[in-house]
Amino acid sequence: MKNILLVDDAQFVRYTLKLMLEPKGFKIVGEAGNGLVAIQLFKDLEPDMVLMDITMPEMDGVGALKEIMKVNSNAKVVMISAMGKEDVVREAIMAGAKGFIVKPFTEETVIKVIEKMI
Amino acid sequence: MEENKFSIASEPMLEMFTFETVNLIEQLEEILLRAEKDSELSGEDINEIFRVMHTIKGSAAMMMFKNISKIAHEVEDVFYYIRENKQVSVDISNLSDKVLEVVDFIKEEIEKIKSGVKADGNEEKIVEEMKSYLAEISGNLDIEIKREPAKTKQKFYISPYDLKKGDSIHRYSVKVFFEEDSQMENIRAYTIVHNLKPICKEIFHIPKNLIEDSESAKYIIENGFDINFSSLEEYEKVKEIVEQEIFIKTLELKEIEEYEEEIVTQSISQELNKVQNKICIPEVVPLEKETTTTKQNIISVNIARLDKLMDIVGEIVITESMVIKNKDLIGLELDNFNKAAMQLRKLTDELQDTVMSIRMVPISLIFNKMHRIVRDMSRNLDKNVELEVIGDETEVDKNIIDNLSDPLMHLIRNCMDHGIEEKEERSSTGKDLKGKITLEAKNISGDVLIKITDDGRGLDKRKIINKAKQNGLLTKDESELTEREIYGLIFLPGFSTKDEVTEYSGRGVGMDVVKKNIEKVGGSVFVESVIGIGTTINIKIPLTLAIVDGMEISVGNSVYTIPITTIKESFKLNKKDLILDTNGNEMVMVRGNCYPIVRLHKLFGVTTQKIDLEDGIIVMVEADDQTACLYADLLLGEQQVVVKPLPPYLTRYITKESGIGGCTILGDGNISLILDITGIINQVV
Repeated sequence: MKNILLVDDAQFVRYTLKLMLEPKGFKIVGEAGNGLVAIQLFKDLEPDMVLMDITMPEMDGVGALKEIMKVNSNAKVVMISAMGKEDVVREAIMAGAKGFIVKPFTEETVIKVIEKMI
Repeated sequence: MEENKFSIASEPMLEMFTFETVNLIEQLEEILLRAEKDSELSGEDINEIFRVMHTIKGSAAMMMFKNISKIAHEVEDVFYYIRENKQVSVDISNLSDKVLEVVDFIKEEIEKIKSGVKADGNEEKIVEEMKSYLAEISGNLDIEIKREPAKTKQKFYISPYDLKKGDSIHRYSVKVFFEEDSQMENIRAYTIVHNLKPICKEIFHIPKNLIEDSESAKYIIENGFDINFSSLEEYEKVKEIVEQEIFIKTLELKEIEEYEEEIVTQSISQELNKVQNKICIPEVVPLEKETTTTKQNIISVNIARLDKLMDIVGEIVITESMVIKNKDLIGLELDNFNKAAMQLRKLTDELQDTVMSIRMVPISLIFNKMHRIVRDMSRNLDKNVELEVIGDETEVDKNIIDNLSDPLMHLIRNCMDHGIEEKEERSSTGKDLKGKITLEAKNISGDVLIKITDDGRGLDKRKIINKAKQNGLLTKDESELTEREIYGLIFLPGFSTKDEVTEYSGRGVGMDVVKKNIEKVGGSVFVESVIGIGTTINIKIPLTLAIVDGMEISVGNSVYTIPITTIKESFKLNKKDLILDTNGNEMVMVRGNCYPIVRLHKLFGVTTQKIDLEDGIIVMVEADDQTACLYADLLLGEQQVVVKPLPPYLTRYITKESGIGGCTILGDGNISLILDITGIINQVV
């Protein structure tokens, strides 16, 4: 129960998360740079949880979240938001996101959220 | 959040950050320059710029580069406003001026970061500028970008949760403090309310307006978040639900008899006081793009690893010929070995090609930078100049591209500064007021040719000769100089038209440095010009530095490599074709043309038995449209060689001018020097 899917259009953020999570024994099963890929990977890889950025090309994080919730209503999706996107985060919470973290985040924050989830 | 969260941000992370940010910034610059040129900023452009800035903002904040993050945030706001208010009229050139300033700022900071210096650029001026710009275009000096939908919220929530008779209602009071730094406390509060709603009948909370009121987060940090609600659920269940929110620091949950009056009334009175002074801009669903293509199948690789890979492939190529051409095999019956060897050969060739292709990048990477230079200089010098780019998809080895950027920039600056005339001068000579610079790249037999052409005043040969004379740079009588040689003088160290120093050109960096940089990557440069019509600077660079097809020749005991692309033909000399010029220099007549002969053994001071020209072999070579005939002992055969730079202790004595371009290791372990044909020809022609 430690498989994680990373979704963020910034390669830098995915890379940072990977550096934070892998030493803690979490497995990054997939990475996606936009919502459409995220949905596909979610179906293919069935990760235990998803870390999802909000602003992305092609399809944004909330759009992908909604689709993912259709695939599996128990999906554990945690949003990664930039500061000042309160309304979108609220929309995500309403759509079924299990929580959110705000950029810039610390390793501690990320680990805490994930451990609570899985 | 003042403390550095990434005090030990790892090196690769930093590298990734700078890499990605530089890419994004370049992308942004490209969009802006195109938009400016077409005077049109499409919805997709705006979206793209918004997204770029958003990503930079986030990444920079993670790396604690606050100034970058802050500036990106301001630009993001501006484009957010533009995106949501399509009718707003924006002067594109003004806007791109502003954003390009930001681009420059970020570039500068990234440079600092890369060189290990603290990124301490002061962002305040630009932040202020962006703010006032936003105020200007929005026509409102007090505008605050707020991205919440202006929905009226329900006064309180009526649950679908049915109250059955006989069930006992519990009333609860909750007070929550969130962890410091958990951020968006109002949304965390909202999450709790959202989670509770399905189990409660009515719910009141302070602050009431979690989303619309931008002060609510601050209030919650200071005073905590208070909720009163009623539910059929028992204490434990309620507690569990509240605790679904992760960042709760303290939770006070108690069952109460009556609601706390303060909370209920404040919830309502706040509702009544809901007069908003702020302009709210609704969040609009992001544009749906139809394309489903993704860029996920591209990865970025550290160039050092590619260099390493290239090195290894080079070694394999050498080792392969060491094995296949091994002296121990001579005279053996080797049918099966040869078959296998052939297969191996095929595969190493393929491997080599593949590795080479990985290293190739389009030259547009540096051509795109030139747009910016032309744009900025056009304005500052009050010249109207258009830059046309042709063939920017031509691919060149990454290492070469990196070394080419500075020389090209310098040349373009020169074109702008000295080449293209002032407007008055252009109109008086009947030229189009608009100047034109053409930047063209194309493949020519294993080389890439880059041409920089301007339609300016052209080079004045007389002036150049005089200048060279003044500075004591003339080594020949001026009447003997060919046109090409005259133009070549401008590349000599010490030749500088100092009376024309301006902000852009002539900052101590002369054309000699340009030439040196180009030669460093195995290239050559020459100039063509017609006075009054314009100037063309031709730069020829090899596709790659790493591997060349070479012809091995021997002179005495030494082996040399001639790049195959330079060889026109080779033949045995017939004495009757030999001519001596008035200085006793040997020439050979081939099909009516006369070419100088270069005896390699003399050039390099090597002893050989084959002094008589009829004993050895003549190899006719060409570089930069000039031809010469090299005299060597013997042709040994064609071979692909891996070019190694000369070791530093040799480069002190051997320069390019001396005719040695590099060295390589042969299959038998011997070293072969690679001839630099341009260098040799320049000595004799």
